[in-house]
Amino acid sequence: MGRLKQKGKAGAAKNFMTRSAAVKKLQCSLADFRRLCILKGIFPREPRNRKKANKGSSAPTSFYYTKDIVYLAHEPVLKRLREHKAFAKKLSRALGRGEWSAAKSLEEQKPVYRLDHIIKERYPTFIDALRDIDDALCMIFLFSTLPSTARLPREIVENCFRLAAEWQLYVMHSHSLRKAFLSIKGVYYQAEVMDQTITWLIPYQFTQSVPPDVDLRVMLTFLELYQTLLGFVNFKLYTDASLVYPPPLDTKKDDMAAGVGAFSLQAAQAQAKKSTEKVKSVSIDGKTVTGKDVRQTIKNISASGPQQEEDAEMLESEDKTSEEEETFVPQASHSQVASDLPTLQSLNSLPVSTSSNVFAPYTFWLSREVPRPIFEFIIRSFGGRVGWPQSSGSGSPFNESDESITHVIIDRPPVHKDETPAQRELRLQRKYVQPQWVVDSINAGKSLLEDTYAQGKPLPPHLSPFGESAGAYDPTSHPEGDDDVDMSDVEQGEEDEVEDDGEEGSDEEADTKKDTLEAALASVSEDPASLRAAELAAEAAGMDYGAFEAKVKSAKKGASKLSKASEEVEQEMNKMMMSNKQRKLYEKMKYSQQKKTAEKEKLESRRRAIKKAKADN
Amino acid sequence: MANIDAKKTSVKRKHSEKEDAAPVALELSGLEMLTDEEDEDYNDSDDGEVDEFPEIDPSSDSEGDGLSEEEDGEEDDEEESDEEGYSSAESEINKRYVYFMSVFGIALRWPAKATNRVGDIPMHWYDDMPHIGYDINGKRVLRPATGDELDKFLATVDDPDSWTTAFDKTSQQDKNLTAEELDIIQRLHAGENPDANYDPYEPMVEWFTGKGKEEIMPLSAAPEPKRRWVRSKWEKQKIMKIVRAIRQGRIVPSKPKTTSKFEFYSIWSSEPSSSAPPSLPAPKPPLPNNAESYNPPEEYLLTEEEKKEWEEKDPEDRERDFMPQKYSSLRLVPAYDQFIKQRFNRQLDLYLAPRIQRKKLNMDPNSLIPKLPSPNSLKPFPYYKSLRVQHPKGRARCVSISPDGAWAASGDEEGVVSLWEVNVGCEVKRWKFDGKIGSVEWCPRQDVSYLAVGLEETIHFLIPPNVDNTVFAQTQSLLAPATLPAAGPTPSQVKWTSTSASSWPNDNPILSLGLPPSSGTPTQLQWHRKGDYVASVSTGGAQNGVWIHQVSKRHSQAPFKKIKGAVQLVLFHPTQPHFFVATQQYVRLYNLAEQKLIKTLMPGIRWISSMDVHPSGDHLIVGGYDRKLCWFDLELSEKPYKVLKYGILFSV
Repeated sequence: MGRLKQKGKAGAAKNFMTRSAAVKKLQCSLADFRRLCILKGIFPREPRNRKKANKGSSAPTSFYYTKDIVYLAHEPVLKRLREHKAFAKKLSRALGRGEWSAAKSLEEQKPVYRLDHIIKERYPTFIDALRDIDDALCMIFLFSTLPSTARLPREIVENCFRLAAEWQLYVMHSHSLRKAFLSIKGVYYQAEVMDQTITWLIPYQFTQSVPPDVDLRVMLTFLELYQTLLGFVNFKLYTDASLVYPPPLDTKKDDMAAGVGAFSLQAAQAQAKKSTEKVKSVSIDGKTVTGKDVRQTIKNISASGPQQEEDAEMLESEDKTSEEEETFVPQASHSQVASDLPTLQSLNSLPVSTSSNVFAPYTFWLSREVPRPIFEFIIRSFGGRVGWPQSSGSGSPFNESDESITHVIIDRPPVHKDETPAQRELRLQRKYVQPQWVVDSINAGKSLLEDTYAQGKPLPPHLSPFGESAGAYDPTSHPEGDDDVDMSDVEQGEEDEVEDDGEEGSDEEADTKKDTLEAALASVSEDPASLRAAELAAEAAGMDYGAFEAKVKSAKKGASKLSKASEEVEQEMNKMMMSNKQRKLYEKMKYSQQKKTAEKEKLESRRRAIKKAKADN
Repeated sequence: MANIDAKKTSVKRKHSEKEDAAPVALELSGLEMLTDEEDEDYNDSDDGEVDEFPEIDPSSDSEGDGLSEEEDGEEDDEEESDEEGYSSAESEINKRYVYFMSVFGIALRWPAKATNRVGDIPMHWYDDMPHIGYDINGKRVLRPATGDELDKFLATVDDPDSWTTAFDKTSQQDKNLTAEELDIIQRLHAGENPDANYDPYEPMVEWFTGKGKEEIMPLSAAPEPKRRWVRSKWEKQKIMKIVRAIRQGRIVPSKPKTTSKFEFYSIWSSEPSSSAPPSLPAPKPPLPNNAESYNPPEEYLLTEEEKKEWEEKDPEDRERDFMPQKYSSLRLVPAYDQFIKQRFNRQLDLYLAPRIQRKKLNMDPNSLIPKLPSPNSLKPFPYYKSLRVQHPKGRARCVSISPDGAWAASGDEEGVVSLWEVNVGCEVKRWKFDGKIGSVEWCPRQDVSYLAVGLEETIHFLIPPNVDNTVFAQTQSLLAPATLPAAGPTPSQVKWTSTSASSWPNDNPILSLGLPPSSGTPTQLQWHRKGDYVASVSTGGAQNGVWIHQVSKRHSQAPFKKIKGAVQLVLFHPTQPHFFVATQQYVRLYNLAEQKLIKTLMPGIRWISSMDVHPSGDHLIVGGYDRKLCWFDLELSEKPYKVLKYGILFSV
């Protein structure tokens, strides 16, 4: 016989720890514990049996894995936090005694902690970090727009702004933005970096106020981690794209509210030249610095030369056909048409190039009421050129009178005013569209018709590019009620055909055929073969098609009713044989299904009602 | 103080035990010796140790101070001695006491009358007593008379000095405050020093400074020591140590500032520090759908009722954390006021919510329903009543079908056994017995035809009419042979009686056997499949009622001497010499050949009602009155292989 098992020495009692026990073990304050948990990504666990994990008590507490807490105990950050506690005591004592020089030297020796080892631990590979960067981006973009207060130092806001701008610059540079969505909460962006789909949300540009029930300390702790994480991610992205990190900031431009434009991307080799050119040119120029690079670029050019030509051709053809195409709403992709001899390489690269260069041929002018950061980011990510008036910030590459402007993004009702012929000509050359056109175009992967989005027109609904869950209501689909007319037309055609066939037959054996018709009608079921047979029999009997249809329908209805009833009874009998667990699961699933369908039906009926009301008006 | 205590106790002892004089004298002498020692102590303390004991030690120190006070005490003593004659020892004690009290700074006021000497104790201890304490002689101090409230009031009215009285706890009465005391109170009230003689504005007496008091000569004429003008060797060594450390760079005079700029570097270029897999990434928040658009299709907008409902709901219960809105253009979209709050909630989820990995069931719920054969495919089964026959009166209790299926026998409570033709349903024969019929069972043999009827404490064997002659003859020879088989070695309790073959056929049973008296009605008869043995279970009797009867040998035996529980049913194993016995809750399987228990099955049924075994002998089903049906696989275990729940089962 082995040793007696003692209670609380194994299993859940040992593996789990309550929060207060954890705080006691780590010998830190609850605030420090919370900070550690946030930084290290340790979260409570739910034991299978709460009583077993908490010495028989069922009091509501949160549990942590004991191993996690032991792992926290060796954390260098915990040591730093303790040092900081001692430092705070010393500092307050020095201040209380009025020993200013001592306080100053203490302040200079203030212990700070670094989080790079935590980043490495939590995200062993770069892909792990990218996968988890959504929340970091949301937070950093939010804090980059917050006003700095006593609780939120200016350095943090500035750093967040810098990180956010770096990220946006990279996304614009790599053309990795895929989707955008203007929601009531803000703008959702979805980018694809290193095959990872990254979605983040940026609030509209208004001053946000921190509500009183939000604990800013928690948010700042998260922000600390996210700043470090995004810094490392940006570093990796920039160095992989052979760009200089951090991108130099032009303070003069920054003071003039140039926003993202205040940062300049530099290729890693051209760092010495300190060139401050634009994104695209920089990346090309950077490669022409050394002889090796020259050779490399020549090689690249020779490899991608035909492809680029192809692209150019495509664009030309698109331009040519744009007038003709405008009558069609669905635009077919022209990649196959344009390229006569598609190579595998070109086929692989085509879909990406088309979708990420939607705006390549266009030049945009942002009207002053259009939020510049949003649309500058979107348009530049998709290859367009964009300019803005001085009131939206400095750094616009061209002014409003530029001849190359093809689109003006405008968000105000049209006003009639007198204009000179030159102005009129300029106006007619350009297309005035509402901002939604830009977002809908990139979500569709092609530039949509401008007419529906023209200035002052009521906009079509803006739908989510992320789609709905399977089986949910789809506003773009046409419900059956709308299609009734088309269906009846088709049926009419079929009827004609059938009648044509019927004329060929003879009417002699009408009686016998009637019997066969009866039999056929009786055996009508779902499968089309029997239906066809019955139809033929009806033809032979010289029956009117309408009457036949009605009979078939009634026969079908009766049969289906019977079979449905019997099936239901059988289903009920089978349900009796389900175990309790299965039955509960079944009922849960059925409940959620019914909820979904009810939601869908509600939306559909509402849509019909709206349509009807519009038709009446 | 300890000394004084000892003295006090010794005095008491002297009072109580007067014959014990010698030790007292000893102690007194000891006391004097002690005082001598104290004097010595005092002398010793001249050596400068006084400073070390600023606190007063009453037993040893400051004897000198005590001298004058002792004098005061003596004066007091004289007063006391006027009132009551004290013995010399007592007066000595009193002196000591006064001295002690004065040392501790306690104000002493010797009253004219006996003082209450209980000390500083809660006076309510004496609330129920006639006295309020004891005086120095240990005599009771009686409680002063107090009037009622009215008297008190009158006293305050009459006596002009009543407002300068205070209640004295120890004497339990009001006392007039003296003029000095009143003066102290007034001074305290005015925030002045309570001591009337204290003058805060005394002129300063200058002892050392001022004209004509300058010292010309130094206090000491000793020459300056060398250490005043030569630097310390040890200090020099310490300084040199630090200097060397600074030179060697071990000590950096001013550390560089720690707030240097944090530099990012290529963190993912090296291998991960630990091979352990990273913890699961946090679940991503759901992506926005059409309803969140700034310009959604109109059907997504909420109606008035829905808006109201949404607003009334607790934020946690809402299905959506926002209300769909429609704006005609982007410039009209306002700031979203819940943005920070929702970010914060997401972070709370990230670090406070326990994460569980849930398997997402992506299946058709209908696949959960077990597939059973359609009832139509199980046909034929009886679904209508073809024949109904009625017993003349009384309730039918039992029925049995003949092995060839042509006949049915039934028995009722009135003692009537009827034989029915199955196809037509007519009653062919009726036997009448006295008493309730417990059971009717056909013999399963095909070559003979008879049935066994169990009624109160007897079992009758009946030959039905209209049987084939050969079968009849064989049955007759079996049940009433010409030569009776030899009786067993031990006389049985069961009596086998047969009517003679000549007097037959008539309505009487051809063979009957009487069970022992008061054994109850045989409610079950169970034939062995070969038709030679029949087991009977009697219930309601005093004895246990399982018997096995062998018809060919006319021999009966009770296989069990004693059975736990009331036997409900018995059953022969179809292939082996095994025997199932069902009590109320258990089914036991016995080997009849070896006469031992093989296993006990535990169906978990409260009351077993029915039981049957598969012809292969491997499966047993047991039904109970508590709506359960248990299916045992005898080779598997003693617990049921499957339990099904149905309505109450009467037969299986």
